[in-house]
Amino acid sequence: MAGNSSGARERILARIRDAAVRSGGADLIDTPLKPTAGLSGPADVLAGIFPPIGDARARFLTECASNLMEAMETADAAASAAALVTVLNSLPEGELYVQDVPVLRSLIERATIAQPVRWSSQGAPAASTQVSLTLAHAFVAQTGSILISSQCGGRGASIVAPCHIVYGTGVQVVPDIAAALALAQAKGLTEASYAGLISGSSRTADIEKILVQGAHGPRRLVVIIED
Amino acid sequence: MSTASRQFVQRAAVKAADLEHRATIERNIQTYDAAVARGRLRFADWEAARNACEAIKAEAICHLDRYLEQFEKNITARGAHVFWAEDAAQADAYVATLVKQRGVKTVVKSKSMATEEIHLSAALEKAGATVWETDLGEFIVQLRDEPPYHIVTPAMHLTRYQIRDLFREKLGADVPDADPQKLVAVARVALRRAFFSAEMGISGANFLVADAGMVALSTNEGNGRLTTTLPRLHVVVAGIEKIVPRLADLALLWPVLAAAGTGQPITTYSTLIGGPRCADEPDGPEELHVVLLDNGRTNLLTAPETAEVLRCIRCGACLNMCPVYRQVGGHAYGTTYPGPIGSIFTPRTVEMREWGHMAYACSLCTACKSVCPVKIDLPKQLLLVRRDFVAAGDVKPAENVGFRGFRWVVESARRFAAGGWLLRKSQAVVRALGFSRSPLDPMYVWTKYRAPMPVPRQSFRAWWRQHGRQ
Repeated sequence: MAGNSSGARERILARIRDAAVRSGGADLIDTPLKPTAGLSGPADVLAGIFPPIGDARARFLTECASNLMEAMETADAAASAAALVTVLNSLPEGELYVQDVPVLRSLIERATIAQPVRWSSQGAPAASTQVSLTLAHAFVAQTGSILISSQCGGRGASIVAPCHIVYGTGVQVVPDIAAALALAQAKGLTEASYAGLISGSSRTADIEKILVQGAHGPRRLVVIIED
Repeated sequence: MSTASRQFVQRAAVKAADLEHRATIERNIQTYDAAVARGRLRFADWEAARNACEAIKAEAICHLDRYLEQFEKNITARGAHVFWAEDAAQADAYVATLVKQRGVKTVVKSKSMATEEIHLSAALEKAGATVWETDLGEFIVQLRDEPPYHIVTPAMHLTRYQIRDLFREKLGADVPDADPQKLVAVARVALRRAFFSAEMGISGANFLVADAGMVALSTNEGNGRLTTTLPRLHVVVAGIEKIVPRLADLALLWPVLAAAGTGQPITTYSTLIGGPRCADEPDGPEELHVVLLDNGRTNLLTAPETAEVLRCIRCGACLNMCPVYRQVGGHAYGTTYPGPIGSIFTPRTVEMREWGHMAYACSLCTACKSVCPVKIDLPKQLLLVRRDFVAAGDVKPAENVGFRGFRWVVESARRFAAGGWLLRKSQAVVRALGFSRSPLDPMYVWTKYRAPMPVPRQSFRAWWRQHGRQ
């Protein structure tokens, strides 16, 4: 592509700068960027805005329920494998797409699975994939969300199949979105091509504001939390 | 009087008299109101949240040039292409050229008001591509060949039965009981084919994050995720005002946008796109193009008093709250952005003489200001548009003469008293002759749509002389 050979970029920026000057805001151009006036940082800002989270694990489970997610708490790897099999057995026939990491390889080995398995190292999920299994970077108590990225088996792993199963541990629960975003930056997730919070199954209320689950993404989002 | 103004008055009159339409809108907005009331309870201090959002967006607009450059630098470093478009023609031409050069046959679109504003779909169809709107509401209005009715809920004006009939006619799908669950399933099947065959996905942006160099996109259906996952090209079209300084700001902006837009705690898929597929990733587009759109937005920066309009995060709260919007609906305005925000955005970004009339579709009740999550002073902005519209000179001559006459009358106590006497007498005659509410009534402008006002027998001064000292 030719890009902006026409100088549109410079003209737009010039209009913005001209305007700032005309409005008596010459300082807007020359001063260094500073945090929002009167606010020293996001944590300070948010302190009085949202109620305190309290028990993060309990809050996460409550929010999951109100987001129409299914949360399964398990004591060990064997119980997690059993929980996985329970979910898989409730699904129609079709491929299981799994993020290719050692911890999920060992979970799959423990479970007796009828579905054909495709690993993320073998390519993206297909249109016919029935279920996907991935890890998450964190669980967010405030909104019952999972923090994932394209490092969790790619972009399609969390959106293409009608059911998405997330496997994680209780220590991954963070109190709020601010903590999740800070974690994303600390872990370098902002270097991935995709990152995001998923807070429940795919839904729409575009017809008469009536909530319907399973619009384009997964109808079911299942979280297995192991301790 | 502009064509747009005449059309607005005609359409508004028809819609306001359509009781079925009004009932549909009222039902939808009541559901929204209840959800938002619940959503706000999740905040310990909603006012503090609004203040903080105002501060974040005000800072972004204040340093717009530098945050845009920071965003461009960071996202370009990850392999994205950034294109700056001064107007709709440049933006459309850029994307249409991509369509032709890359041999794109099918385009899937996630909901985006910026692409509506520049009529991108029409430009791409002209370039030979088939364009599918994938947000359910957008898909429905696309099948009806209509623009979106609302900036958040595009098909708000339709009942499930109208959608059932539409799907039967256009998609050959029969859902006799019009069950929303089944209607959604029909759309899912129809659009799934499009998702997997499309070579290009187009989305808007809810926020452009400067420090992370990422595009933030909020969707509930997951269509935004599929649009940005499956096709080999992803194009983002975003207004330059979508910039926010820091990723951390989303910890507040995401919940506030969701609370004001739909009453949710957070939108189901709160997505960040940082670039095309990385080498170690199994999927994702090979190319990411971000079109930064001015299209009149910098006009709002030419006066310091109008810059606040660029803080808007397009939540739609002012539309839902507006008593005029609730009666005349979204299509009456004839613009991409209807309601209060549209009435202050459109005249300044498009053309004052053609669109300034929108600011008069307002009773200055200030309800919009009370709900705006970024605290735009919408009533003040509406008055500023009226001021500049009058200055631009597209005012009816009769109105000019009328107001000059009115001023002349009220400047003198004697003339004011005489005017009052004349009005009382003339109304008494008109009513005695049975001309009230007919075109012969001098008050017809008022009585055309309203019951005649009671005419007092005497002036206030006469009344005061009789009773005032008692």
